[in-house]
Amino acid sequence: MKDYLKEAEEGFSPLLAIEEASRCLLCHDAPCSKNCPAGTDPARFIRALRFLNEKGAAEVIRENNALGAICARVCPQEKYCKLGCSRSGIDKPIEIGKIQRYITDFEANLKMNILKKPERELGQKVAIIGSGPAALELAALLRMKGYSVTIFEKDEKLGGYLRYGIPSYRLPNDVLDLEIKRILDLGVEHKVNHRVNDEEFKKLKELYDAVIVATGYELAKTLPMFETHHEVELATQFLKRAKEMNGDIDVYSDVLVIGGGDVAMDVVTTLKRIGTPRVIDVVYEEFSEFRASEKELAEARAQNVSIIDGYVPMSYDGITVNFKHRHLDSVISIKPKHIILAVGQVARMQFGLDYEAGEVKTTNYRVGDSNVFVVGDIAHGDKTVVGAVKTAKEANYFIDNFLTKERAK
Amino acid sequence: MIKKDLSIEFLGVKFKNPFMLSSSPVGNCYDMCAKAFRLGWGGIVYKTLIKDPCDECSPRYDTLRKEGTSFVGFKNMEQLTEHPLEDDLRDIRRLKKEFPDGVLVASIMAGNDEDWKTLAKQVEDAGADMIELNFSCPQMTDTHLGSAIGQNPDLCRQYCKAVKSATKLPVIAKMTPNITDMVEVAYASMEGGADAISCINTIKSILNVDLDREVGLPIVNGKSSISGYSGKAVKPVALRFIQQLRDNPKTRDVPISGIGGIETWRDAAEFILVGASILQVTTAIMQYGYRIIDDLCNGLMHYMDEKGVDHLSELVGLANKNIIPAEELDRDFKIYPKIDNDKCVGCGRCFISCYDGSHQAMEWDKKLRRPTCNTDKCVGCLLCSLVCPVGAISKGEVVFKPGRGEKRKTKDIVV
Repeated sequence: MKDYLKEAEEGFSPLLAIEEASRCLLCHDAPCSKNCPAGTDPARFIRALRFLNEKGAAEVIRENNALGAICARVCPQEKYCKLGCSRSGIDKPIEIGKIQRYITDFEANLKMNILKKPERELGQKVAIIGSGPAALELAALLRMKGYSVTIFEKDEKLGGYLRYGIPSYRLPNDVLDLEIKRILDLGVEHKVNHRVNDEEFKKLKELYDAVIVATGYELAKTLPMFETHHEVELATQFLKRAKEMNGDIDVYSDVLVIGGGDVAMDVVTTLKRIGTPRVIDVVYEEFSEFRASEKELAEARAQNVSIIDGYVPMSYDGITVNFKHRHLDSVISIKPKHIILAVGQVARMQFGLDYEAGEVKTTNYRVGDSNVFVVGDIAHGDKTVVGAVKTAKEANYFIDNFLTKERAK
Repeated sequence: MIKKDLSIEFLGVKFKNPFMLSSSPVGNCYDMCAKAFRLGWGGIVYKTLIKDPCDECSPRYDTLRKEGTSFVGFKNMEQLTEHPLEDDLRDIRRLKKEFPDGVLVASIMAGNDEDWKTLAKQVEDAGADMIELNFSCPQMTDTHLGSAIGQNPDLCRQYCKAVKSATKLPVIAKMTPNITDMVEVAYASMEGGADAISCINTIKSILNVDLDREVGLPIVNGKSSISGYSGKAVKPVALRFIQQLRDNPKTRDVPISGIGGIETWRDAAEFILVGASILQVTTAIMQYGYRIIDDLCNGLMHYMDEKGVDHLSELVGLANKNIIPAEELDRDFKIYPKIDNDKCVGCGRCFISCYDGSHQAMEWDKKLRRPTCNTDKCVGCLLCSLVCPVGAISKGEVVFKPGRGEKRKTKDIVV
């Protein structure tokens, strides 16, 4: 339990932060900044730190990304900013996430208030359904422009997957709480334990000038052979359960996890951190095509999770799961005490939205010519936190344009 | 982003911020200066104009490095402008027209009164806001040019007088640090009519010697020369000269333009606290580009915010009164080191430095690999805290020396 709540990665000390910033080559056309989907501009904040301007660095991060402290911790940087870092030509990329975390921790310690309340109220109302990363970022951006923003959240607390999915040792609750508080302090209204149904959705469209759907990939996928076996747990249910109980949940001696994405890695490391003796993760992909981020896979390996790659589940009789290798003539049978499926998530079909390949059909995040916009996982783009922030920043532009035109009418 | 007013008035001219390019390779033509203005620099001292353009050598730079750092010091052999005078005057005219709010200072140098006067008139006609007299270029050895002027009070006075007779513009004399006492030459310049002092130009130097070819660096066809040293490493020398100008009744009130190793807003704030009102930068720009203006300005705004001041001028010279003659320092007490064993990584560097460089007070537990301070031997020099790589040693207990500090309390000692 202690292992579950304690942040796994140590932060930089001031000494190490400045040393790391000094490794940065301060590139002319920095690949890191070009590669950040959220436009957090690492080159700029690293340069600020390099020139001993920590406060300025905090301003750069916060003004570019209202979830800067969260992205610092959960972003798979090796796929974005660290990819193409010129320093790799000498040794290894700059630890950009850790520098970002150092600066946002500095910001929190100094209780800096960088995001500013709007100077004027525009008088238009926006409803946001959901409160995950895309919803939070968009709420901040629209509120700072002067729109009245109300968030509708089905769960008890705000945060969506950040709150109920990502384990505490990767994203401590106090970090998430502070990021949300900063956004609420701008004057964003919110309703929790409030699931919007199709009927209410219609009303919201009339009551609000714009309605934003940011409901994410709410439902966990399953596999046909497990459908009737209710003892098999879905990854998102398990992670939510662990998070709500601060890791204080029943421990099985042998747990089989099926899946190899970041969610699966969160499941296996959570299992280890709450004290599960044996965790076996069977993955469809082979290591050469693994989907989980480097950091998450490394963490799972460090926790001594047994990872078996390249196997497909074939059958389950309530006791034994049989797998077959995708290419080799090889079968394995596992009789675990508990099974958790981490084979992906999908959107809940609701509000009469039109889906294609898991994403709502939109033009510039707008549904047809209605006042409904879509952000986050169900919009087109990477299904990561930073991808969600990107959709929010882009949608903000189009929503503001739409509302500005409406205002002029 | 924080917004604070960084503007400051200097010789009746308003600067939107105190940061200027110094007269050097970084302000050598229209394109460079225009880019600097666009990126937010408050002013530019255009590279020194002289009647006949200079003929430069190749290569012309060298650096002083220190382990993992990029260079700490920089050597430059470039002299003055390489362009025909009319080209530079044209660029100055164009810059002033396109960037009316940017302060443009023309730096000039000559070898006789007439040439000084002619140049002063020409740059005034071209629209310069003020004139800086280059009394200090260290890369020339003529007795009537460059730093030879700044070492000779009579020449300083004479040339200032000549320039002031020819122009109505404010005049700054740029001094050389290749001198023991700057007050005499600065005061002579003021007697000649100089309105302000720029301090310092670069320090005459040899940075490195090539061991195979037995010649200083950089090597110009087998030979090298003594020339100007700049960058972070010269900041302490610059701060000292400024303090001495501010400390002497003759030069106390002269406005100062501070130069020497400014790279971060912290450096800038240090120059302001010892008495500089505006600041000039070259080496950091050569190393990192004009973009350093972003953090110079933003960092200084945050500093003003922390200090609770609305005008930069309120900070000028605040440190002067706290820098006093060494004999007047309070020597009644000593401060023992405080060792944080949680931070200590057990390298023993404090032990080595204390033994070999101080008073053998640090003791080393071989088993635990941790230091302890023997206060019987400790003199409170705190060398240990300076060499500690992890900041585990800080200022600890304050004690009065035996027989000293009666009727005084250690808590009153400012540590």
